[in-house]
Amino acid sequence: MKKTVLLVLVSLCFIVSFSAAAEEVTIDFWHAMGGHNLEVVNTLVEEFNGSQDQVEVKAQYTGSYNDTLTKTQSAVQTGTAPHIIQIYEIGTQMMLDSGIIMPIEDLGKEVAGDNSFDWDKFLVPVSNYYTIDGKLNSMPFNSSTPILYYDRDAFEEAGLDPNRPPQTFAELKEYARKLTIKNDDGTVERYGFTLGIVGWFVEQMVANQDATLVNNDNGRSARATASNLNEEAAVRFVKLWKEMVDEGIMLNPGRGWDGANQAFSSGRAAMLIESTSSVAGFTENAEAAGFELGTGFLPRPAAANRGGVIIGGASLWTIADHPEEELKATWEFLKWLSEEEQQVYWFENTGYFPVTKAAVEREMNNKFFAENPNYLTAFLQLLLSKKAVSTQGALIGTFPEVRQIVEESVEKTLEGNMTPQAAMDEAAERVNKSLKEYNQLNE
Amino acid sequence: MQKLNYRSHSLVPYLLLSPTFIVLLLFLYWPSINSVFLSLFKQAPFGRKRIFVGIQNYINLFQDPAYLNSLLRSTLFIIFTITIGLVFSLLLAVILNQNLKGIKFYRVIFFIPYAISPTVAGSLWVFLLNPVAGQVNYLLDLAFNIQVNWLTNSFFAFLAIIIATVWKNMGFNIIFFLAGLQAIPDSVYESAEIDGAGAITIFKDITIPLLSPTTFYLIIMNIIFSVFESFGIVDIMTQGGPADSTNIVIYKLYREMFINFRPGIAAAQSVILLTLVIIVTIFHFKYGSNNVHYQ
Repeated sequence: MKKTVLLVLVSLCFIVSFSAAAEEVTIDFWHAMGGHNLEVVNTLVEEFNGSQDQVEVKAQYTGSYNDTLTKTQSAVQTGTAPHIIQIYEIGTQMMLDSGIIMPIEDLGKEVAGDNSFDWDKFLVPVSNYYTIDGKLNSMPFNSSTPILYYDRDAFEEAGLDPNRPPQTFAELKEYARKLTIKNDDGTVERYGFTLGIVGWFVEQMVANQDATLVNNDNGRSARATASNLNEEAAVRFVKLWKEMVDEGIMLNPGRGWDGANQAFSSGRAAMLIESTSSVAGFTENAEAAGFELGTGFLPRPAAANRGGVIIGGASLWTIADHPEEELKATWEFLKWLSEEEQQVYWFENTGYFPVTKAAVEREMNNKFFAENPNYLTAFLQLLLSKKAVSTQGALIGTFPEVRQIVEESVEKTLEGNMTPQAAMDEAAERVNKSLKEYNQLNE
Repeated sequence: MQKLNYRSHSLVPYLLLSPTFIVLLLFLYWPSINSVFLSLFKQAPFGRKRIFVGIQNYINLFQDPAYLNSLLRSTLFIIFTITIGLVFSLLLAVILNQNLKGIKFYRVIFFIPYAISPTVAGSLWVFLLNPVAGQVNYLLDLAFNIQVNWLTNSFFAFLAIIIATVWKNMGFNIIFFLAGLQAIPDSVYESAEIDGAGAITIFKDITIPLLSPTTFYLIIMNIIFSVFESFGIVDIMTQGGPADSTNIVIYKLYREMFINFRPGIAAAQSVILLTLVIIVTIFHFKYGSNNVHYQ
């Protein structure tokens, strides 16, 4: 008798818990936002979960962009993929070829049947990047571009106009020369300029000269088959890089971001090119170190065409292999993220661009930009960029590898083992080989 | 008392060994066989498409100057870390083998680097070698008025990972050398002294030969350490750069798999690595006991 009662109780428990679970759909969201940004993501997710009782989003930090991509690959193969993943911009082609995603536009229009969503709400440079074959494939999330940061006080000290940052390659060199302070024993007290060895900067400098990184319209009209890394735009920039390092007016902080950031923040270098997502950090550092921060557009060679910057950062992709009900819930969350309130919160707390027009308009009206002119620099540069395939960004299936190849070639140049042209020729050849293999596997 | 008849329980030994076998099979042999299989294919990211290419991955690898360079770098890395590492460790072990007050405390100090994780060790060395704020450059500047670009110059970066690896493994080596030193009976030293041998002669003709089993074991272990365990240090300190100078085989393999997403060629690299380790192990078993002077 006791047993029967127990059995009934247990089954009741199960039924109750199941029906409770059925009311709330759980969505897994994997992202790569660590440190301070992790808290911002968590706050957003908590707010969404609290705002309604149908969908419960579970956000999980899965390491770097690269780790997140790796984890997704294994999760897909074991059938435990999350609903939403944050993938960096250079993973776009790989995701398109993966066969596991559902384009966000299909998700919104067809699965969720949402006719009220305004697909034109995104900033044009942002939606341009993620629109392929006339369709928005992933939800723009954290976007950034590089800008020039400089120490305004150092400019004044060196007799330069702090309101006029260098605009051409020649000016960058000239300014750096004036800003460099050498000790009597030949050691450098302060370098004029510094730049971490990161492939992204080469990509941006190519776009800024209105040139493409790969053929077939940056891989957008057809699969890219050949690299343009050994053409003038890229070579010119690598050459400038080498000349400035050799002259001792530019600090080579090695690969990655940290070395350069440290050098600029500690006053070892007076100018730096870095992501717009670091505006807040640099502003704070400058205040602490007692100098005024200035920002400017990326310089370009005087003779080059005017291009612009490419949107960097990451976007949110949906994995298709989930029940319809869960996909609908996924859409609810993604849609909510693109709303004005959330966009403004995201922007003001992380420094990543808001990706919608409404959010930008609101920040304009409430004088955020007037009070924070360095954020405005970032925006103007993006909005003044030429609308062309060059600034739309390249689509390359093996982009993470391409970045590594570029970084290695820059290192080889800076070490003096190879001339800029020879190093970039080698890079182009390696990229072509990598493209060929990728295309063979993805036809 | 009845004596157990093992013959009639012929299954018992197998049964007792089975847990080990299952673990080895699942976590060692099966993945290894899988690697060999995978190395014969080219595979798209997310495993969507797979093309059988036979031994093409291996042919490509041995024609790739970057891979050959990586093999060369790894060999140099192994030779230098082992030579420098063992010489230093032996000298320190001899010093630590004395009956000083608080000697245990000193021994612990030298063992600590081995106990910390490679990631922490790598980060520590990044701080120490920082060209601007690092202690190493500060001292070099004071003493010789020079500034070294430790991690942005190929030569110095290579040197830096050797130093870090030697430092990291020193604790392990010292412990084994200490044990080896303490196993040498005092009587041998005493008779040598009576025969009039000097300290250097004793060290050269008695200590080193009698330590040879330990040394041989440590060489094998250090080869395996340098090949596999230095991954963490390289990842934190140089990421294989600058210009591939520290891109040793294990790091290259990682990059091929987890950054370039090429499981086929990464598997081929791991098979090559496995073969090399098997060769070293066979060498160990075959010559370990013959050509080494045991007491």
